[in-house]
Amino acid sequence: MTNTWYLYLFFAAALVFAGLLGLLGKRNLIKLFIAIEVIGKGISLLLVGTGFAKANILTAQALAITYIVIEVSLVATALALIINIYRTSTSLDVRKLAKLKG
Amino acid sequence: MILQTALLIGLVIFSVLAIALKDLIRSAISLAVASLLLGIIFFRMNAPYAGVFEISVVAGLITVLFILTIALTKTGDEVRESKLVDVVFPIVFVAFLVIDALVMKGLLGKVPALASGAETGSFGDALWRGRTLDLVGQIAVILAGVFAVLALFRKRDKHD
Repeated sequence: MTNTWYLYLFFAAALVFAGLLGLLGKRNLIKLFIAIEVIGKGISLLLVGTGFAKANILTAQALAITYIVIEVSLVATALALIINIYRTSTSLDVRKLAKLKG
Repeated sequence: MILQTALLIGLVIFSVLAIALKDLIRSAISLAVASLLLGIIFFRMNAPYAGVFEISVVAGLITVLFILTIALTKTGDEVRESKLVDVVFPIVFVAFLVIDALVMKGLLGKVPALASGAETGSFGDALWRGRTLDLVGQIAVILAGVFAVLALFRKRDKHD
């Protein structure tokens, strides 16, 4: 069972790291948010994979569903914010946000 | 096991594509495919409810929201990304995968194991009885999201 757990943890860590690299390197706001989504996928995989390996799949599923619900709420709010930012600054460049005053 | 590993590799590839691709629509579709693969992985891990949620909500609803946002922000593609990142990203990522493969096995032994035994009952028992507070929290989070979106898209007064 440790081998299965190792497999899921390995790929979950890869997803989280890919997301972090995207967050550090990209400038487009939507791309940054896609990177956050990728990190979220890694966390989901970690939760369910650990539950599967430790024979606690029911609780892990409940936690994964809770996370998905939170994710939807987060996505709706963040995309609404991105649209509002675009209307104000007519750009999705995250560097231009630093120049906003007011 | 081989199929599961292939699905996991596909998940990582499509997730990396979602971050690395220049075109935003293709990025969003890659993310949807990654969600679909994650849903199938959940199904194969005996977690059908999480799989259904992942496929219907994350691969369906969230992709629609992303594509809608991309359509509403038409000039979003014009953001100039750093060229250095395109070179550095694959190298650092492959280096991390190597370190991950070497270190993760050693870390697993150090993670304290959960003291609980094997679960009994159905998923309904685990969700509705075991995680009742989570469900209340979920309702609060959904309401917070709804009010946040309403506040962000409210009509502006003439004075603004």
